[in-house]
Amino acid sequence: MKMKDLPEEDWFVNGHTACPGCGGATVVKIAMKVFGPDTITYFPANCLLVFGGTYPLNSFKVPYLHVLFENSAICAAGISRALKRLGKTDTSVVAFAGDGGTADIGIQALSGAAERNEDIIYVCYDNEAYMNTGIQRSGATPFGAWTTTTPVGSVEAGKGEYKKDIPRIMMAHDAPYVATATLGFIPDLLKKLEKAKNKKGCFRYLQIYAPCPPGWRMDASLGAKISKMVVDTGLWTLYEFEDGKMTINKKPKMTPVEEYTKLQGRFRHLTKENLAALQKYAEDKWRKDQALAEAYS
Amino acid sequence: MYEVRFHGRGGQGAVMAAQALADAAFVEGNYAVAFPWFGAERRGAPVLAFTRVDENKINIKTRVYNPDYIVVLDEKLMDFVNVAEGLSPDGMAILNSPLDPEEVDLGMSVKTATVDATTVALEVLGAPITNSAILGAFASATGLVSIDSVKQGILDIFGPRIGDKLAEKNARAAAAAHDRIKIGKCKAERTYPEAKKWLPTYQEMPLSLATKPTKTDSGLVGPGSSVENKTGSWRTFTPKYDEEACTNCLMCWFYCPDAAIKRLEPPKKVGFDMDYCKGCGICEEVCPADAIEMVR
Amino acid sequence: MAERRIVTGNYAAAYGALLSRVEVIAAYPITPQTFIVEHVSEFVNDGKLDAEYMPVESEHSAMSACVAATATGVRSYTATSSQGLALMHEVLYVAAGLHLPIVMPVVNRTIAAPIGIWCEHNDTMAERDSGWLQCFCENNQEVLDMVVQAYKVAENTKVLLPVMVNLDAFILSHTVEPVEFPDQKDVDEFLPRYDPKHAYLRPKDPMVVGSFASPEYIQEFRYQTEESTQNAKEVIRQVNDEFAEKFGRDYGGAVEEYRMDDAEVALITLGTVSATTRDVVDELRDEGKSVGLVKMRWFRPYPTEIIRDIASRVKALGVYDRAMSFGTGGPSYMDTKSALYGHSTIPVLGFLAGLGGRDVMVKDIRLMFERTLEAAKKDRVEKEVTWIGTRGVQP
Ligand SMILES: Cc1ncc(C[n+]2csc(CCOP(=O)(O)OP(=O)(O)O)c2C)c(N)n1
Repeated sequence: MKMKDLPEEDWFVNGHTACPGCGGATVVKIAMKVFGPDTITYFPANCLLVFGGTYPLNSFKVPYLHVLFENSAICAAGISRALKRLGKTDTSVVAFAGDGGTADIGIQALSGAAERNEDIIYVCYDNEAYMNTGIQRSGATPFGAWTTTTPVGSVEAGKGEYKKDIPRIMMAHDAPYVATATLGFIPDLLKKLEKAKNKKGCFRYLQIYAPCPPGWRMDASLGAKISKMVVDTGLWTLYEFEDGKMTINKKPKMTPVEEYTKLQGRFRHLTKENLAALQKYAEDKWRKDQALAEAYS
Repeated sequence: MYEVRFHGRGGQGAVMAAQALADAAFVEGNYAVAFPWFGAERRGAPVLAFTRVDENKINIKTRVYNPDYIVVLDEKLMDFVNVAEGLSPDGMAILNSPLDPEEVDLGMSVKTATVDATTVALEVLGAPITNSAILGAFASATGLVSIDSVKQGILDIFGPRIGDKLAEKNARAAAAAHDRIKIGKCKAERTYPEAKKWLPTYQEMPLSLATKPTKTDSGLVGPGSSVENKTGSWRTFTPKYDEEACTNCLMCWFYCPDAAIKRLEPPKKVGFDMDYCKGCGICEEVCPADAIEMVR
Repeated sequence: MAERRIVTGNYAAAYGALLSRVEVIAAYPITPQTFIVEHVSEFVNDGKLDAEYMPVESEHSAMSACVAATATGVRSYTATSSQGLALMHEVLYVAAGLHLPIVMPVVNRTIAAPIGIWCEHNDTMAERDSGWLQCFCENNQEVLDMVVQAYKVAENTKVLLPVMVNLDAFILSHTVEPVEFPDQKDVDEFLPRYDPKHAYLRPKDPMVVGSFASPEYIQEFRYQTEESTQNAKEVIRQVNDEFAEKFGRDYGGAVEEYRMDDAEVALITLGTVSATTRDVVDELRDEGKSVGLVKMRWFRPYPTEIIRDIASRVKALGVYDRAMSFGTGGPSYMDTKSALYGHSTIPVLGFLAGLGGRDVMVKDIRLMFERTLEAAKKDRVEKEVTWIGTRGVQP
């Protein structure tokens, strides 16, 4: 699907209360344009739950369920099993979870659903921290980033660990479809959303980069730009893992990570050593992802 | 006892201002409390914070419904929020505005102090963050707390969050604003539309709130109903669109997080729905033809 | 024709699901509930039960799957015990809050620490404010019957609340005894297909289920649950009677009274202790003592009116609990007292025994009656809560 072929109609409509420039809101808007009206959605506790609707208002025109925070994958699976009983297997069941709800508290249910190959689409919009509760670190927060639980203090500053690689964990489940995407590469993103939609009857995992201006201490207008840069630096590899075969969709330019970090206040305190460590991480990541793609070719 | 209600937007620091005022009053030997009212809104959305001050211990735990003072950090709020709601007729409004009090319309005529806190903040802090400057204005307009106490309150409250250096600067912004207030009486010309809220009885309310799209007296509820929520009021910058220059590439349409840009029938290209545009500026940033410019 | 077989309580609980034609099952094993999970898996794999079976990764997920499936619009089923129920805690409130009529047998087992696998009611008692309805069973026949009845109560449009069917660990779960299995055709007539009008997920008719709500709505939401819970009292009675009519077993509704005609004192019991108490009542009656049994079958909704009526007919009440609310007394004892406050001045005594799976002996129950008779005679409570059979504690 080309961008111009996306429908004008939205199923995630105006009036939501996301912060200006919210990447998560754009991800969901576009994803819903692709998934369309024959979709049932699940939302755990996260920003999207709150900005997507405070009773009695709601931004989704499709059926909507919220149960709790850590059970997105299993709730989506419960819906999908019920649909099977009702003979409605064409309907897409989509969970939209944040990185915290995915990498940390929700990973048990996610792993279970992947292992059982439940018929769901799981979209992790990755804003790299717990934003709803006010910017705390998650397993998916990158190395060095300031959050309110990795504050810049006189002894320690920023997150001391590296980003948990959830797509790789999903690949280890041999899930039929795993893909990473960002808003920076539109045809790639649309292709992956479409594949996720059309590959029925199995477990599909998408991890989509979702810039958060307040959480990243970044100008609200930079979401699209930063979504390109993260790929160019090698900090985020665009790839697909489909039926056991991994394909890298974009060779990074390996632009210095500093180009990327300097646009975001969450990295402002990084020392030369920190930046070198993050640079090395980007290079290692690219090397590892290439090796993986080779192994799964 | 006196009660103060602060009006700001998410991210402007209304809550910190309310706390710093409480701290200032406390420093002077009073009992004081400050607390936010959290809605579900995010950065840019209207928010409320409250301060109560008394010589004696304060036991009341409700929000403030009839404030003696209102403090408005962002004058644009007055266009759509009835900031004077419940304000005591003998009370006072402290507003961030370059206008004279007489030029301001609060829909009720009360004693009013205006201060151009945005300019003060830009001068002293280099950023349009008005939560400290407005406190200086509060001190001089009301005489309820001294400017020294306000400065102390800012150091105590802002310091641990933004660092002592920045807190110092904010204290200076308060002092600068202290001498730049204008006092008078505001106009009472406008009427705010009655805030509509759907408040069903428990029998009328869908069981467990499982709700279909439903038209109520107060508008749509249920799936797709957020269109009732006109988030355009959050905006500080507005996109100016040059249709001539536009190549109709649809990048702005794709990236707008608020779905405020619509494709139009040719030969028209795209249109902006200002009811929803929050002014993030992504459209300007992604436009390859420079057809969009964000203006104040 | 209805068939009779000798089966365990766990089998009865599983078979109740089969007869109720549940459509989605999600469960996780825990002693002593494990056989329920195994039996339902067998039913599904043998083609006896046409359902989606989800062997999930935790009890939290089991209940989440049931919530999601029921919210989508089908009948769902799970079963658990003790730690599993505790792990579900968070999800239980959602099931009740969203008015999803899930039925779940809970094999009552002690909660750690110390870890043990035997009978205590402290697992379900901890969930008594979750909004779930709860019934307690005395034998395996009742377990099977109550699973079917529970769906009928839960799905009644005046109720729409989930139900726990409680059965005592090992004493029922692992004990075989004769059970009559109703015909599927009769159960189908009794329990029609689940067809929700209040909450479902259908793209052609979209609904928001599970909203983030502000203070403007939550109190009314809570009141809806209160009203449904109150409505359940009448529905429990109707379902009991309809069941009795169709299947010939009348359990007496929320409370069964045994030899209560002109009884001077009564003991209120929950679970299998009710069975032993029947024998004790008979013995004491033979000895000329005027005692009776009040078997509390539905603990939520608490049968306030019935207990008040019973209290108006006796001189003292004893209440047996298999769980303790520390610092006060057993939950059933406390609820009894609060139901009677301002309505009755008779002595009410609380008894604890059988915690952690210790047997409750005939002599223990005799002691409960003796104390209650004494209190009736003196018209006074000398000891509010008595721990029976605790080494070092004078009962
Ligand atoms: C069991 C439980 N623990 C904690 C919370 C509080 N909580 C709500 S949302 C959230 C963070 C969500 O982070 P993420 O999944 O990354 O999504 P985001 O808010 O960033 O969009 C937390 C910790 C909760 N709702 N439930």
